[in-house]
Amino acid sequence: MQPILKINLSTGNTEEFIIPREWERDFLGGASLAARILYPFLTKDLDPLSPESPLLFINGPLTGTSGPTTGRFVICGKGPATNLWAESGIGGFWGPELRKAGYDGLWITGKAASPVYLWIEEGRLEVRNAAQVWGRDVYEAQEIVKEEIDRKNARVAVIGEAGERGVLYSSICCDHGRMAGRTGLGAVMGSKNLKAVAVYGRNKIPVAHEAEYSALRSESNRALKQDNEAKIMHEVGTAGVANYAEYLGSMPSKYYHQGSFESVDNISGSKMAESMLVGFSACQGCVIACGRVVNLGDGQKRKGPEYETIVGFGPNLLIDNLGEVVRLGELCDKYGLDTISTANTIGLAFHLYELGKVTKQDSGGLELTWGSFLAARQLIHMIVRREGIGDLLALGSRQFGAAFDAEEEAVQVNGLEVAYHDPRGVSGMALSYATSPRGACHNQSDYFFVDFGHTYEKIGITYFERHAQAEKAANVAKHQDWRTFFNSAIMCIFANVDPQMQVDLVNAACDLNWTLEDLMKSGERAWNIKRAINNRMGLTRVNDKLPKALLLPHKEGGTMGFVPDLAAMLDAYYEARGWDKESGKPSKGKLLELDLVDIARDLWG
Amino acid sequence: MAVFPSEEWLMGLEQKINSDERYSEVAKNWEGDLFFRIEADGNLKEDLTFYLDLWHGKCRKAEYKPDATAHPNPAFTLTSTYGNITSVLTGKMNPMTAMMTMKLKVQGSMAYMMRNVPTVLDFVRVANEATSEIL
Repeated sequence: MQPILKINLSTGNTEEFIIPREWERDFLGGASLAARILYPFLTKDLDPLSPESPLLFINGPLTGTSGPTTGRFVICGKGPATNLWAESGIGGFWGPELRKAGYDGLWITGKAASPVYLWIEEGRLEVRNAAQVWGRDVYEAQEIVKEEIDRKNARVAVIGEAGERGVLYSSICCDHGRMAGRTGLGAVMGSKNLKAVAVYGRNKIPVAHEAEYSALRSESNRALKQDNEAKIMHEVGTAGVANYAEYLGSMPSKYYHQGSFESVDNISGSKMAESMLVGFSACQGCVIACGRVVNLGDGQKRKGPEYETIVGFGPNLLIDNLGEVVRLGELCDKYGLDTISTANTIGLAFHLYELGKVTKQDSGGLELTWGSFLAARQLIHMIVRREGIGDLLALGSRQFGAAFDAEEEAVQVNGLEVAYHDPRGVSGMALSYATSPRGACHNQSDYFFVDFGHTYEKIGITYFERHAQAEKAANVAKHQDWRTFFNSAIMCIFANVDPQMQVDLVNAACDLNWTLEDLMKSGERAWNIKRAINNRMGLTRVNDKLPKALLLPHKEGGTMGFVPDLAAMLDAYYEARGWDKESGKPSKGKLLELDLVDIARDLWG
Repeated sequence: MAVFPSEEWLMGLEQKINSDERYSEVAKNWEGDLFFRIEADGNLKEDLTFYLDLWHGKCRKAEYKPDATAHPNPAFTLTSTYGNITSVLTGKMNPMTAMMTMKLKVQGSMAYMMRNVPTVLDFVRVANEATSEIL
């Protein structure tokens, strides 16, 4: 891969960091390589919002190569709400553009004296005054920056007002609504007085064996275009699974307290496709184009929400008006807010209001009643402005719950709000959430797809009944390793590409000679180093947990009263992982087996 | 119940669909015909087609070995190998697995299919119950 540009915003100093070849071989790129690079710097005492806190934008070796769904990059650091390892993947065109500008990463530390943005063109860096863009929404800011640098084709990664004001679940946006939403790295960017990073380049994207890669790229993209799942993602969007998820009881409603949502037909991806869809959008080189463009009848083209946003602002709040859900998602995007965490935290406010723990006085006179999109909209404004109850909501659900003596009611794991795949409907998600290195994440292992029936025979990921318990733990671990590879390459999880083809693509792009076993081992290695980072920051087995709400049986809906037996699942998972059941750390033997000698020494002496 | 694949099996499936109360309820809103292409492998020596016109929980028409030109625009065309389709019919393979791993290729409106997954799954249940033996 190309060098990473290190930038200290306090001093203005820059230097190039050359990625050691053995790290590329062992970790490939993306989030895995970022974990290797940042391991020494992510300490327990590090304040994620301090100038010392690193923020690493990084590509994978497939980024921008037009391989299947490879227009992606990832942003990593320490999460301000979780105080743990943080990573957030993002599509669009920014990562490929950075490659064309001659870098495969930006490693940012320090804090500018006043708001700035970075302008990187063909390897040259300029730090510019951001006075004209500070306070602007993510779309306005992109346009103003492009105008100022006089480069319409530049790509701009930007935060909104939420990141500027330190909302702990702020996102980073590029292009039209591509968001690095999870883990609040927009707040880290804002804490550095960094509004945006604009990039432009014309270099060729490096691929080791071009002719071979080109042939594989064409073959894999052709196959992907014919794939059933890809066709669903294109025609119906990610929310195409809403009806099926509702049928299984895996689509949460009423802040995870109701087992069924009768109005699912009103908010599903099928409904969007049939009633308001006017176009599609795609990340660089992607043949799926899962992005939605919708028209709400006012002639304006808007981003159509994906599954998480639809469920978060729909069933989660008992809102069944798809148009209003579109508007709530759009408002979050403009402010630069993660829709999953925003909708989840607002859901907690509604829930506590119903329980009488949050009063009308607390809410500034707002009636926080289920189904009220007006209340949800007002709360979003208050969160970003840090007004009244919004100032507490801006801290995320764990701290919001704690402020009302109800932390146990918050549906979060380690400070990250749970995504909208209920483990009572698809039990594998219990382990996905409890053991994810960044909190309750559905992208470190989207195991719900495996519980739906998606198997990968070549790498031994088989089908277990959706309510199976500890017997599926090793399968979940394998799936996590598989997805960790995706987050290193970097590929989108919707790329249903044959695993052997993935190996061939990596070998051709990186001049490697990997087997499928090597690929899986690379994923396992990175999963373990992320775990080690978190262990060093204080994470133990006690942190591998689920919130109370997800362990209560529903009386109605597709979960059929099921709850996961998390303790038994964790025992089996630790066994499969080779982790120490007492401390929650990877065993010394496991770390040595993965060639993580220095990490083994660090954790075990 | 009859041996799959055979015309007798298809007629039995038609009867089963039209008499199954649960299917009738689950599929009450379904409007769409299915054209199946089964690719030869194992005990099936040549490719096979069959057609079902499913409407509001009933089967209006079933045809064994129709020519594709007889039904040029079915709502869905489903293509699978004999080995994979029999795995689904005998319950060895989850139908969603077959679809998600491309062992069953689907052509048609994905919006309609995703809205009606419960109907699709119940159709598979009925087909399982209509199958006593595999060739």
